[in-house]
Amino acid sequence: MLTVKHLAKSYNGTKKSLTDVSFSVSPGEVTVIIGPSGAGKTTILRSINQLIRDDDGEILFDDVDMRQLNRRQLRDARSHIGMIFQNYNLIEPLTALENVLHGCLGTKSNLAGMFSLYRNSEKTEALQLLQKVGLGDFAYQQCRNLSGGQKQRVGIARALMQHPKIILCDEPIASLDPKSTTVVMDLLRDLATNDGISVLINLHQVDIARTYADHVIGINNGQVVFDDRTAALTDTAVTDIYRKTTSSERSLVYEG
Amino acid sequence: MIKPENQVSLPTQLPAGPRFTIPLRFRDRRRVTMLITLLILGYVTLITLPTMIPDHFKLVEAITGFTENIKIMFLQPHLSNTSWLSLLGGLGQSILLAFLTTLIGSVLAFFLALASTRRFAPTALVLGIQSFMAVIRAIPTVLWVLIYSVVFGLGANAAVIGITFHSVAYLTKVYADSMDELSPEAIETLQAMGLKRPAIICQALIPYLKPSYLSWTFIRFEINFADAVAIGAAAGAGGIGYQLFMSSSFYFDFHEVGVMVYLILAFAVVLEIISYRLRSSNTAQH
Ligand SMILES: Nc1ncnc2c1ncn2[C@@H]1O[C@H](COP(=O)(O)OP(=O)(O)OP(=O)(O)O)[C@@H](O)[C@H]1O
Ligand SMILES: [Mg+2]
Repeated sequence: MLTVKHLAKSYNGTKKSLTDVSFSVSPGEVTVIIGPSGAGKTTILRSINQLIRDDDGEILFDDVDMRQLNRRQLRDARSHIGMIFQNYNLIEPLTALENVLHGCLGTKSNLAGMFSLYRNSEKTEALQLLQKVGLGDFAYQQCRNLSGGQKQRVGIARALMQHPKIILCDEPIASLDPKSTTVVMDLLRDLATNDGISVLINLHQVDIARTYADHVIGINNGQVVFDDRTAALTDTAVTDIYRKTTSSERSLVYEG
Repeated sequence: MIKPENQVSLPTQLPAGPRFTIPLRFRDRRRVTMLITLLILGYVTLITLPTMIPDHFKLVEAITGFTENIKIMFLQPHLSNTSWLSLLGGLGQSILLAFLTTLIGSVLAFFLALASTRRFAPTALVLGIQSFMAVIRAIPTVLWVLIYSVVFGLGANAAVIGITFHSVAYLTKVYADSMDELSPEAIETLQAMGLKRPAIICQALIPYLKPSYLSWTFIRFEINFADAVAIGAAAGAGGIGYQLFMSSSFYFDFHEVGVMVYLILAFAVVLEIISYRLRSSNTAQH
């Protein structure tokens, strides 16, 4: 479904943020990426839909290399990749429904995008998605008036509106309280199990990774240091993933 | 125990001796320039002021005449040569002049701002448009009207084009500044869903821009109304400004001038109330 091979990225040419990252994501599974701050988790996620251009490697999404697409093809591919952000990234002055409807604009014409021309079927679907995430009553509320947990659920509904094969989540629960965290994670888990969507999540909370993930990838200093089923994520493995890289090791990494 | 010769110590601060530096207030070249300029201007004023006073000037009479005129204007306003209808018509003309110029200006400025916001436009274009607009803004509206009156003759045409010209330059800047505040994340999010540029502008930029667009446009409307009154007098563009000019300089009818001043004042107060309401309803949304 999604296979990343030998991905490498350097933001400034000298310091490498990713060195030779390879992993794959299976359909209908929750894959969680964990690792210390600055390890390169965000970089990996944003490379997948090419929000940042990586330097080297392959990103095969349904056997098509995302890095080889031209602008139009890339837009087409992106319209079927959902993305969920730590800060929700909703258009706050608009209503929840309008935000969800943005999800289907990627496949529509410029005119439809400019003048918000949606079919009735699309509006119905957006409403149903809001109901699915438990926000049916908030459809016509301005998003700036919603709570963090509600905003994130609008974000999920918006991603679902794209009919995604995969949803990429960059720390989706980092700004949420425990209750909203459970709601959001349960939703994402449900999408993988029941709708067969691949869910790739960057997380900082190991316990949540253990509860929800099928597959865990550990990243440290721009390299994959763990790649296995969740059951194999022992405490020693976690310590290893979060291990501080000493300077001698770091210089070895850069030379190699 | 560290041997005494190997011990380190923090250097003690020596008491500062006399320093032979120029005092701060003379070192600042800007301040010196300002001081010299002010001194020269003061000198010139003192020299020329006495020569400006005409021989037949009598201070006491001038002051009583002035207060008399003020009294007529503000305490005994009534109409004699003009009718209420034509006066209201004149006010309407000035309002329409302000409305038309603000409308055309805000539409043109919106597109120019889109082409010169850092969020969407390349730096060269941003700098190009913004510096061109700065030059236009630097010349006052009345002057633009007079410049255009060379082409169109004194009158309404020159007024419309001149005021619009300055409005476009003003609004382009404030709109572009407001557009710059759009967060890059909002743009990126929509890009990540495969949206194209025009859709991103309409779905993300415009919703965020709307409140500041409305309040800036309204502020410009107030400015344009004041300009329309002044230009009615200066460039014969009609409206209440022209009537004001006629009754004061042509008929010397200060009773009538008083009525007009009150009328303009009332309208300004109405505008102020509307803009206050507009602003508070916008802030309530945030
Ligand atoms: N825009 C950028 N320009 C330069 N360097 C960057 C940029 N973004 C990230 N980096 C660097 O790349 C490395 C990986 O960053 P990344 O954001 O992917 O880490 P992360 O694992 O997501 O960290 P966190 O858990 O704190 O979000 C870091 O060393 C960071 O300093
Ligand atoms: Mg990150």
